[in-house]
Amino acid sequence: MSMIMWFVLMIAVSTVWLVWFLKNPLKSNLFNLEKSNVALGKQRQAELEQDLRQNLIDESEFNQAKQEITQTLAIELNQATGADTLAQKNIPLWSIGLMVAFLVVASLGIYQLLTPQPKAELIPQIVEQSEPPSLKQSMAELKQYLLEKPDDFEAWQTLGLVSFELGEMEDSLSAYERSYQLNSKNVSMLVEYASAIATSQNDQFVGRASMLVREALEINPNAPDALYLAGLVAANAGQFDLAKKVWQRALSLLPQDHPDRPILEDILVELAQIQGEETPQYQVTINIDLSERLRQAEFNEHYLMVYIKAAQGRPMPIAIQKIKLKDFSGKVTLTDENSVMPSRKLSQSTQVLAVVRLSQSGAAMKQAGDIQVLSSVINVRDNPTVDLQVE
Amino acid sequence: MLVEIGHFALVLALVFALLQVSLPILGMVKNNVALAQLAKPLLWGQFFWIIVSFAVLMNAFVVDDFSVKYVANNSNTDLPSMFKISAVWGAHEGSLLLWAMILAGWSVAVSLFSKRLPAEVLNHILVVLGFISIGFLLFLLITSNPFERLDIIPLQGRELNPLLQDFGLIIHPPMLYMGYVGMAIPFAFVLSSLVRGQLDSTWLRWSRPWTLIAWAFLTFGITLGSWWAYYELGWGGWWFWDPVENASFMPWLVATALVHSLSVSEKRGAFKHWTVLLAISGFSLSLLGTFLVRSGILTSVHSFASDPARGLFILIFLVIVIGGSLTLYAWRANLMRSSNSFAPLSRESGLLINNILLVAAMLSVFLGTLYPLLLDSLGLGKISVGPPYFDAVFVPIMIPAVLVMVIGPFLRWKKDNTSRVFGLLKTVWIGVAALFLVALFLTDNIFVLLAVFLFIWIVLHSLVLLTQRLQQKGRPSSAFFGMILAHIGIAVFVLGATVTTQHGIEKDLKMELNETIDIKGYQFTFKGVDNFNYENYQGHKGIIEVAYAGEKIATLKPEKRQYVTGMPMTEAAIDPSLYRDLYVALGESLGDDAWSLRLYYKPLIRLIWLGGILIALGALLAAFDKRYRLSFQRTAARRSRVES
Repeated sequence: MSMIMWFVLMIAVSTVWLVWFLKNPLKSNLFNLEKSNVALGKQRQAELEQDLRQNLIDESEFNQAKQEITQTLAIELNQATGADTLAQKNIPLWSIGLMVAFLVVASLGIYQLLTPQPKAELIPQIVEQSEPPSLKQSMAELKQYLLEKPDDFEAWQTLGLVSFELGEMEDSLSAYERSYQLNSKNVSMLVEYASAIATSQNDQFVGRASMLVREALEINPNAPDALYLAGLVAANAGQFDLAKKVWQRALSLLPQDHPDRPILEDILVELAQIQGEETPQYQVTINIDLSERLRQAEFNEHYLMVYIKAAQGRPMPIAIQKIKLKDFSGKVTLTDENSVMPSRKLSQSTQVLAVVRLSQSGAAMKQAGDIQVLSSVINVRDNPTVDLQVE
Repeated sequence: MLVEIGHFALVLALVFALLQVSLPILGMVKNNVALAQLAKPLLWGQFFWIIVSFAVLMNAFVVDDFSVKYVANNSNTDLPSMFKISAVWGAHEGSLLLWAMILAGWSVAVSLFSKRLPAEVLNHILVVLGFISIGFLLFLLITSNPFERLDIIPLQGRELNPLLQDFGLIIHPPMLYMGYVGMAIPFAFVLSSLVRGQLDSTWLRWSRPWTLIAWAFLTFGITLGSWWAYYELGWGGWWFWDPVENASFMPWLVATALVHSLSVSEKRGAFKHWTVLLAISGFSLSLLGTFLVRSGILTSVHSFASDPARGLFILIFLVIVIGGSLTLYAWRANLMRSSNSFAPLSRESGLLINNILLVAAMLSVFLGTLYPLLLDSLGLGKISVGPPYFDAVFVPIMIPAVLVMVIGPFLRWKKDNTSRVFGLLKTVWIGVAALFLVALFLTDNIFVLLAVFLFIWIVLHSLVLLTQRLQQKGRPSSAFFGMILAHIGIAVFVLGATVTTQHGIEKDLKMELNETIDIKGYQFTFKGVDNFNYENYQGHKGIIEVAYAGEKIATLKPEKRQYVTGMPMTEAAIDPSLYRDLYVALGESLGDDAWSLRLYYKPLIRLIWLGGILIALGALLAAFDKRYRLSFQRTAARRSRVES
């Protein structure tokens, strides 16, 4: 059954339901408001007498309470408007028709109004324009094209790239995945897809991104793009020797005038600096100015959590010091000694944020009530000093 | 196609809600019973189409239909089936659909089980509930459509937030929503009475059982949330005064005041103004809570502005509901005059003091929750309001409330005298003092001593009251037993919360392989870490053997999970008992077989949730008191006919 038929059926069921109860109204129960209040008044009096028996009300107050119940009932009966005498009238056919028409028109109208129109409808207007299409127009055209030819893996790849350029990561990854499902041996697609995934996970070439790079190199071990990414995968894993080897190979495969050569050369110089000499030790000094309020004795047992975290990527601390406020001197210096993980020392970081958190509990995660201050982005390799004010 | 059917069913539900409001009003105005009596069937129709819509969305999750944006964003093929179902309410759109479905469900329950309500009253109530449904269905359809399709269909969906992949979160939101939405029922009773201009006994009598049931669900939902936060978040806490928690706690405090105030209004006809205001504010706070949590305003004030359509709709809806009902209240204020007097020392006064303290406590939470958000959204700076504020403001207000709570039931209605009350309670107070003296030898912690005092105070008063009532002629009502149970629940909660906070031990440490740490006589030995793979995550599982007095009592295996989408998650391991919990959370690897671990000793923590369960059970017991039951009504009516 088509969707239209389903909609017709649903409207028909609704109409039958409405008309049935219009023609056969539910019977009212026998209680009108007056009877209900009288019955409740009696029950309240009975409960009052029970309260008297249970010594929950004094005998002298009992009579007054009884009188109050009677008065309340009188007011309630006085308030009754007699609206309980609704008449049993037949509903004229035209009224029923009007109600049914409302049901049909309202349901279809609201549905039509709220359902997003297919974006493909925009295409004809785009085609008529003489200027070169923008990225958004290209994307719309591609989507239209893919509706007709959904098996074109190159079109899916292009759509992935266009969406990536437009910052629509969700669409980009979906389009690359479709392309991958249709042809997983396309090296350029694999490289682009891996880059898109890495971008979506804060430039981390791990998991699926690294798998795709490996697949690309299995197909073409001399693809410079794939080798470049393989170097990033290795560097990500801390395997700098391997990264160096892979990037050198990528450089040797690139023509002399290739625009990517300077990028690779810079990376190799940086890597050589890191590997060629003793790893330099860096530190971050944080001067913390506590407000007058926080210097009060009541905060002495609070903890000051001072830490460094990456400006982008994982939020977990790289180096941390936890100090009780009563032991705090005003300045904290974080070095490799304070690094949380041996594999991720402070000196290995570059762009970071300094964070100061005042916590009553000293718990590792920020709790409600904690006061937290962040620095702007700083470079660890400048041995920076940061001034932070906590109020 | 099925998805479009679900979407269309939701539209039909909206049309039914529109008819549910307009036709009965027309019937009442035109004095036509056929139109007026349409409120019920139109409500049932609305409920039916929402169920269809909900079932379609659930099916989309079960069959991994990633063409639906909501499904693609919150589920994937690796997600276990149980969580695919709970993922339906795992994010904004689906949870609002659940809200709408529960509201319709509550309304249907009112329409079916309110046999003793006059038809005209019931129709008015259903019209008010229909108005609320329209608001929610429009919000869903216009700004939060769960059936939105994606242009490009991904082959794989994203991950449901790992925090939500847990049994506690399968039942916690529906339970909490049952409470939130249940507050719509007393609200609808009040509004319909204000509209009709008849704030009478009928409204007061029949709204009370619904309020009690909603309050029970709210209590149970909050308790579940606290229990979930404790074992799932990995920090060993059970309440964080987090704005999201506060959003559910505020309506609870008002609902607590309302169930007590309703009892006075119902029996003595007093406090009507107050009761009406409580019913309005209870639901308004429920709405505010739902929207605060679901609009994203709490995680970041800027997310409110990032979706102007949602934000604007929320504001307009809140203004209509809160502003409209308060205007109606002001218009009908003259109907609530009461000449029913009571003395300063009376049961009415006791309940009034309790009510005032509960509302004051709610306002303190309200201020601490919303003031920082308001400042931030106005660009006036960021302030942080945390546990120190709530401990300093909320707790001192609640202590007298707890003290008065158990004295009230001993007082007489209307008027009592101090010498009678003193004579009645002096032996109880001697007993409290004697037991408290014993407690002085057990601890010197002032907060624990205070909690022990409150525990003894509540339990002893409750038991004496129970004994007295059992000795009197006639079996006490189940509402009475419900009250005793709920009050003892408060006592149990106070004791558990204070002892675990004051005597709990937390150790954040690095442990080498086979290293042993002693906490309160329990020896925790770190036996290493295993790696494991599961359907949609992999990770490390720590092995910690726990011994007491040299005898091994448990092996705890806390997990550190990495979900396929890269999201990390800590899964604590707990050795529970009524007396204490031993709680271990796995931290990071520190190299050379050393790991960071968090170890907790949590005395009496289970009492917190036991207290919550007792309160909820007490409320249910009171709600099903025989005076609210149909069978009892029928018997009474028969007897009355025979007598006449």
